[in-house]
Amino acid sequence: MSTAADCDRPSTDATVRTEVFWGVDCGSAEIKVAALDREGRLLTTRRCRTLFPLVEHVHRSLAGQGDELSAIADGDRDRLPADGRQPGLRPGHKVFATGYGRHHIGFVQGQLTEIKAHYLGVQHQLRLQQDYTIIDIGGQDAKVIRATPSRVEQFAINRKCAAGTGAYIEELAHRLEVPMQELPRLAAAHDKDLTLNSYCTVFSGQEVIKLLMHGERVENLIHALYRSVVKRVLEMTAIDTDTLVFSGGVMSHHPILVPLFAERFDEVRTILAPNAQFCGALGAAIHGMNEESDDGLPNHQ
Amino acid sequence: MDVSPMDVKQVMRDYFVDLGEAAKDPGRKVAWCTSVGPAEILRAMGFAVYFPENHGALLGATRVSTDTIPIANAHGYSPEICSYLTSDIGACLKGVTPLSKAYGLDSVPRPDVLVYCTNQCKDVMHWFSWYARRWNVPLLGIHPPNHLPEVLPEHVADVAAQYRRMIGRLEAITGTLLDLEALRLAVARSREATDLWEAVLNTARARPAPLSFFDGVIVMGPIVVLRGTQAATDYYRALLAELQGKVVARQAAVPGERLRIYWEGMPVWGRLRHLSDLFANNRATVVASTYCNSWIFSDFDAAQPLDSMARAYLKIFINRDDAYKEAYIERLAGEFGIDGVVYHAARTCPNNSNSYYNLPQRLAARGIPGIVVDGDLCDLRCFSDEQSTTLIEAFLETL
Repeated sequence: MSTAADCDRPSTDATVRTEVFWGVDCGSAEIKVAALDREGRLLTTRRCRTLFPLVEHVHRSLAGQGDELSAIADGDRDRLPADGRQPGLRPGHKVFATGYGRHHIGFVQGQLTEIKAHYLGVQHQLRLQQDYTIIDIGGQDAKVIRATPSRVEQFAINRKCAAGTGAYIEELAHRLEVPMQELPRLAAAHDKDLTLNSYCTVFSGQEVIKLLMHGERVENLIHALYRSVVKRVLEMTAIDTDTLVFSGGVMSHHPILVPLFAERFDEVRTILAPNAQFCGALGAAIHGMNEESDDGLPNHQ
Repeated sequence: MDVSPMDVKQVMRDYFVDLGEAAKDPGRKVAWCTSVGPAEILRAMGFAVYFPENHGALLGATRVSTDTIPIANAHGYSPEICSYLTSDIGACLKGVTPLSKAYGLDSVPRPDVLVYCTNQCKDVMHWFSWYARRWNVPLLGIHPPNHLPEVLPEHVADVAAQYRRMIGRLEAITGTLLDLEALRLAVARSREATDLWEAVLNTARARPAPLSFFDGVIVMGPIVVLRGTQAATDYYRALLAELQGKVVARQAAVPGERLRIYWEGMPVWGRLRHLSDLFANNRATVVASTYCNSWIFSDFDAAQPLDSMARAYLKIFINRDDAYKEAYIERLAGEFGIDGVVYHAARTCPNNSNSYYNLPQRLAARGIPGIVVDGDLCDLRCFSDEQSTTLIEAFLETL
């Protein structure tokens, strides 16, 4: 018999077979959610802005609306977590978290870093059989992950500042007074290669203003902004690979970056991961599946 | 902290209370000394010795530095230079010290002489110069050759000659001549204490390790500030016995130890608890570090006090070339069974940050993986809890 108190705890009944593995990627800009069935098939993805209290917005994403798939137990679906009370999960559902907010969601069954999550999400979808490198650009950081078919071998994260991340693109779009979604189209219309030099988002903004005052076209500045993102990422670590995979929200919304990266290599195969923005959430769900298999080996291949 | 915290607190309390008394006693002299400066000479000449770097660490650990660094910055000391310096000068300008709350001192003890050695960096010279100007106190510097691949007899002779010149000036301040036997005794005591300190650190070779880096930076107080005294020797003898007991009992600093990590570079003083918990939560023990090992001086020899001091203080890790540092870390990685190295790139301490010249990549190529964490010893403006957590956790995931 379940009681009200039971609803305060995540469902962890070992006798109930897990049917749905949920991954939540709590990023700086957006919360991404993905659900997989036992065979690793993608059931649904959702995203919303990262707002606070974080746990309420994660709850809403997992609960869905109306007939949507819900991870949250029926009795708790409309009852937001408050005062430390954790929602119950539906029997057969488990939730795993990644992203900067991963430690702040009390009702998940496990956590992992974005590095491993993006790797698992990419490898689950692409099932690559050779070594490769993932470039993931998120809202507040950029990551370069050197991977093999079975593990993360090495990684680098941008240091100290936001240049080369989503926050950088957002700030400069704001300076240029151009809506974010217009950036790729405008960049494609560039007719000159300009360079933004600064490491610093604020100083880059000043460079942009100076160039505007000299009469440069906005299209050229936006193209320069994208090239600057590529430069910032490539200076993080030496990349020696013949396969580059891109993941993350920035790559998903600004696919123009893919050829800009490619032109910096002599010969490289580039792949924009399917569901690029959800690779972290997918990886968190895969991590949950791996945890349950408990043999220490990835069971997603 | 699981290792004799009360004992070390008492040893440090006795030291600071004595310093406070010395500063008020017209019959005693106070010398300020850099942390790897020639403390044995000062002790042998009867000075009460105060170490401003220890004060810098206290300012960082208590996070008082968060308020005092900006004051020094505003007075022309750049945010890019040593944050021990800026923490300490800012604290002096503000008239605060954690020594008041911890040990009842009204202020840091006013010096009769300032003695620095640039074997670690040049910032200590600028730091002590500020006090020399402010209080019109004699400033004596030892300027050894730096970044040595090998310590040669001519290097030792150079530094020993500088010691002799300095002793003459110190004798003028005390009004008495250096007693060579007193110097031999101080050097012998330093040697004994440092050998015991090395043995203490080496207990972490055991699996599981009975102490971690985060214990080490607490219990290292006496080897920094009490070299050349019996108190340091007594403390480390007792601590070693305690840790040896823990090794036998298989008592772990981090229960369930799964990974063994080397910490390269300075501590992040204001985030010791955060980092200690982070490693422990991931069942990783930081079993060895360049920082704690920097107070092992195996060259001290009472039979040749000045030459052996010169050799010992020239040979320190921070004063060596990159090939030496690489070989040193590789050796310790083997001896301590290290799974990976965390390199702390301290923004304001480039001299003690060894990730800037490709060292992590060279060691990784030889099977010792590493990750670079940006931060600082005292300036928390340069440290991100979130980014460092993700970096370290992701690194531990890959091991």
